[in-house]
Amino acid sequence: MDVGIDNFRHEKVQRFEEFVDRRLKPDLVHAIAERDKVFEQQKVFSDLRRNIENLEKNCITNLRTLVNLGSEVYVQGDVPDTRSIFVDVGLGFHVEFTWSEALKFISLKEERLARQIEEYTQLIASIKAQIKLVCEGIRELLQLPAERTVEGRVF
Amino acid sequence: MEAGRAKGTVTPLSFLFPAQDAHKAATRVQDAISEKERELEHLLGFISDNANLINLVQKLPEELHHEVMVPFGKAAFFPGRLIHTNEFLVLLGEGYYAERTSKQTVEILKRRGKALDSQVDSLKAMMDNLKAEASFFDATASEAEEGLVEIREEYVEENLGEQESGSGVNKQDVPSVSGVDGPKIVEEDAEYACIMSRLDELEKEEELAAANGDQSDEEDEEEKETADQSLEKFYDDKQSYSKGSTSTWLRDENVGSKELLDKYQQQQEASTNPSNCSGLSVQSSSKEDVSSGKNSLAQTQRVRNPNPAAKSVTFAEVKEKNQRSPPSTREAFTGSIIERPPAIPKTSKQETGTPLQPSGSQPSKPVSRFKMQRR
Repeated sequence: MDVGIDNFRHEKVQRFEEFVDRRLKPDLVHAIAERDKVFEQQKVFSDLRRNIENLEKNCITNLRTLVNLGSEVYVQGDVPDTRSIFVDVGLGFHVEFTWSEALKFISLKEERLARQIEEYTQLIASIKAQIKLVCEGIRELLQLPAERTVEGRVF
Repeated sequence: MEAGRAKGTVTPLSFLFPAQDAHKAATRVQDAISEKERELEHLLGFISDNANLINLVQKLPEELHHEVMVPFGKAAFFPGRLIHTNEFLVLLGEGYYAERTSKQTVEILKRRGKALDSQVDSLKAMMDNLKAEASFFDATASEAEEGLVEIREEYVEENLGEQESGSGVNKQDVPSVSGVDGPKIVEEDAEYACIMSRLDELEKEEELAAANGDQSDEEDEEEKETADQSLEKFYDDKQSYSKGSTSTWLRDENVGSKELLDKYQQQQEASTNPSNCSGLSVQSSSKEDVSSGKNSLAQTQRVRNPNPAAKSVTFAEVKEKNQRSPPSTREAFTGSIIERPPAIPKTSKQETGTPLQPSGSQPSKPVSRFKMQRR
């Protein structure tokens, strides 16, 4: 009997561990990577917003800048009229905005990005919780003494 | 060597390299290879980018300005144009930029391209190495699975010496001839054996030749067959003793005899021969031949008579051999010289009165003696 139970337990522990290693952990890694991407986007748009606000504040209508051709080779670029700006709205579309329109769009976009980040954070937290749950299940199966404080620290 | 003693060790290959481990190693190497491949792709991407950029930089100065969208941050751009199209700001590294013209920029970019190429080359070499390694591991795994065994045996140097000791004659000769005692190199023994056997053959042939002078053809052919190396060395040694007339004698036997066939028939004695020595030898030999075998035989007999004492001693034999043997050292020669004096006058009488007589006379002498001993 004992041997049978032990075998059963052993199998179950193994299956739980596999679930953690092959499903939950890759999911977690993926979710974190996605959230990082969104963070980047957020940074890009906040930069853009700051730049446009700068232009507005200084009333810059024409602009000299350096254009990166790749491999850190720059050529001078001249922008005769800065009042119309093309902003990436996603999926490869760029829309021509004025400064105020652009700022409005950017604030919307930032809001959305913040929501996305929140979602991803939730997702990551839930995945971590699941991992912890499964680990706890394994511990119970093996009838090890609870080490909650220690496990709490791990995640 | 011998079956009785088990000198070697036999280990199954699967013991040294378990098949599983070999497979694991192979897969690991394969992983490394795929990683390198990704790196290589990356580099190739850089190279194509660089080529495109070079093209662009070359074409930009063709126009005064280009209408482009000037990027403004990553997510936005303005409609604008590129101006000052022959001025480029190039990153030199560490945050330093240089202003360059189109041409200069292209040069910089080309140097970068070269660096990339060398990187690609080294990467490819590494991949080749890894591939060889992988194939080796695979081969090892398959061999281990097939139950291959590894047999090892210590290499013992004595073996050679034992083999050589079998030929006692040579050993005797070595010390006597060279006068240098103690352990001689085994190779030399072998060489002596070779040369001595060859000399025996030659002597036999000479006998025959002496009997009927035209047979010298066979000698030549056989000479070629037998160890040329040793004979050559022999000749070299002899020639170095150009004083010692034995060299001429040798010439008679070998080189001279070849030419003799042709030239003797044409009755040209010294004319065609390259060197004095050879010419002399030819003369002497030709005379022998001309005079016919009997004559030569007579020579030999005469030679024999003058120094019976030398013959009687077995050492004399050895010395004679020494004369003919290649590694002849001074001592060996001295032995032969001692025997000479009686022979010289007789031979010289036979030979024509050319100034070269001594050389001619000596060659005939050793031959004769040897024949005597044989008989």
